Amino acid sequence: MRKELRLTVNGQPYELYVKPKTLLVEVLRNNLGLTGTKRSCESSSCGVCTVILNGMAVKSCSILALQADGAEITTVEGLANDGKLHPLQRAFLDYGAYQCGFCTAGMLTSAKALLDENTKPTEEQIREAIDGNICRCTGYNSIIRAMTAVMNGEYKEEK
Amino acid sequence: MLIEGKFTLKAPVQNLWNFLLEPGTLASCIPGAEKVGAIDDKTYECIVKQSVGPISVRFKFTAVLAEVDPPKYVKAVGRGEALGKMGTFTCDVIVNLAENPAGEVEVSYQTNVNIVGRLATFGERIMRAKAKSVGEEFTRNLQEKLKGRTDG
Amino acid sequence: MINDFDYIAPKTLKETLTLLDQYREDYKIIAGGQSLLIMMRQGLIKPNYLIDIHGISELNYIKTDFKKRLRIGALTTHRAIERSPVIKKSFSVLAEMENRLASVQTRNWGSIGGNLCHGDPAGDPAPVLIALNATLTITGVHGERNILVEDFFLDYFETVLEHGELLSEIQVPTIPSNTGIAYTKFNVIESDMAIVGVAISITLTSKDGHCEDVRIVLANSAPKPMRAKQAEDLLRGKKITDHLLKKAGEISSDEADPISDIHASAEYRRELVKVLVKRVGEEAITRAKKS
Repeated sequence: MRKELRLTVNGQPYELYVKPKTLLVEVLRNNLGLTGTKRSCESSSCGVCTVILNGMAVKSCSILALQADGAEITTVEGLANDGKLHPLQRAFLDYGAYQCGFCTAGMLTSAKALLDENTKPTEEQIREAIDGNICRCTGYNSIIRAMTAVMNGEYKEEK
Repeated sequence: MLIEGKFTLKAPVQNLWNFLLEPGTLASCIPGAEKVGAIDDKTYECIVKQSVGPISVRFKFTAVLAEVDPPKYVKAVGRGEALGKMGTFTCDVIVNLAENPAGEVEVSYQTNVNIVGRLATFGERIMRAKAKSVGEEFTRNLQEKLKGRTDG
Repeated sequence: MINDFDYIAPKTLKETLTLLDQYREDYKIIAGGQSLLIMMRQGLIKPNYLIDIHGISELNYIKTDFKKRLRIGALTTHRAIERSPVIKKSFSVLAEMENRLASVQTRNWGSIGGNLCHGDPAGDPAPVLIALNATLTITGVHGERNILVEDFFLDYFETVLEHGELLSEIQVPTIPSNTGIAYTKFNVIESDMAIVGVAISITLTSKDGHCEDVRIVLANSAPKPMRAKQAEDLLRGKKITDHLLKKAGEISSDEADPISDIHASAEYRRELVKVLVKRVGEEAITRAKKS
């Protein structure tokens, strides 16, 4: 039996009817077509499914969609502003902070969640923010350099 | 996953051997055995349920007496599945009966349980945690069963 | 694959208790679901009814009472505990433990009560709470009962919670003076569960710096979080020397009953207990002297 679910995703309100067993990542990808958020490990370890829910980074594969009822969610698609890339996205491009790109959406949302909470994190805090996101390609350092560059104010938000 | 155990009984080895080979003796000692049915005099069908906290799995398998060397050695082979698409399951059990100089019989068994599939991937920790207590319970069950049949 | 289940999300504790009574055996309670959902996705747990208590705000709080005891609502997230100024100031070992629990995303949604009720012997909160001599309140339709955290666990994934009951609060008594408490866990990847974890609380006498009381608690070394009581007896009442701590580590290692799995063998886990008990013991003493 389906239940009502209301969410705001990337500023857009939605009203859906979902089976209770539906996961948040399934709603985002299958119901709303926002496939930027990925799904992979089935054990809550990899972090590719990370989204920002009510200002907090969460693993959307580990949350029942109905638990997000009434929430405001930002996915990777919500980072760019009117076609202009977010500073984090520009830094990731400049610093080569991705190779296959599979972990990237999760890295960006984790990074954004950190930035929203703490504009001047230490290196340790930066590393901590992504310790729930696994990358198989880059060895993490380019990702940390990109994040550090943004936190140091090297990138300004494009208006 | 290796599970083994042993115990000693004061009884004639031939009696123990006969009871060991009786229909379903071994199978009915398996902790959590819900159903043991004979298909022929060497083959049994078994359903075993094991639980750890809120997690429970049912195994459905066929056990065959594969090798016998009276009255010392028997080997049984089990093949089946973990119900609910949780994986497949194979298991070899060897039971040895050895008479010692004091006229007692040392009963020892080793079983190699191999589980492949989702239960193995996700439940490995849980199964290993359970293996020890399952082994201990099986040893107790077998000991009680054989003792009960050879006393008086 | 998750099975199909019926779902209900009560908004108050009272509503929840009525539901628990109504559904008797058939249900599972979900809080943050950070432990439960993994097992449901893997097909290990298949409840027919899921009672979602995540939205019960009355169980989400951190406060101190007039006795300066810390009282934490069962639905408080790990992240809230990690960052609570009150806890960082007066019960800092809790904040330190939470900081190492899983990763940020899990801490943002998972609750300390859910973690305890899941009953995983590798869990981080339990050994620290036991070292702190913490208690729990269990609430059911017919009333409340209080229990020490160390008496809450029965076996792997099994607690004393009966059907019709839920965990509502955790209480931590004030830490006595001259007491130091420390926790560490050994893992290969940051954000992994403990391969072995050790929490130790040491209280020194104000007179001569001898050990007045000690609690040594091990994680993932037995079917449930365990106190290494023989090792504790060795230290209690004595002046703790380097040699004595080393011995305590060895005795704890003998008391432990770990399994072998893909992360480590039982022998390696015993070795970890031996080393970590000494290391954490030293840290606890340093903190006790400073306190």
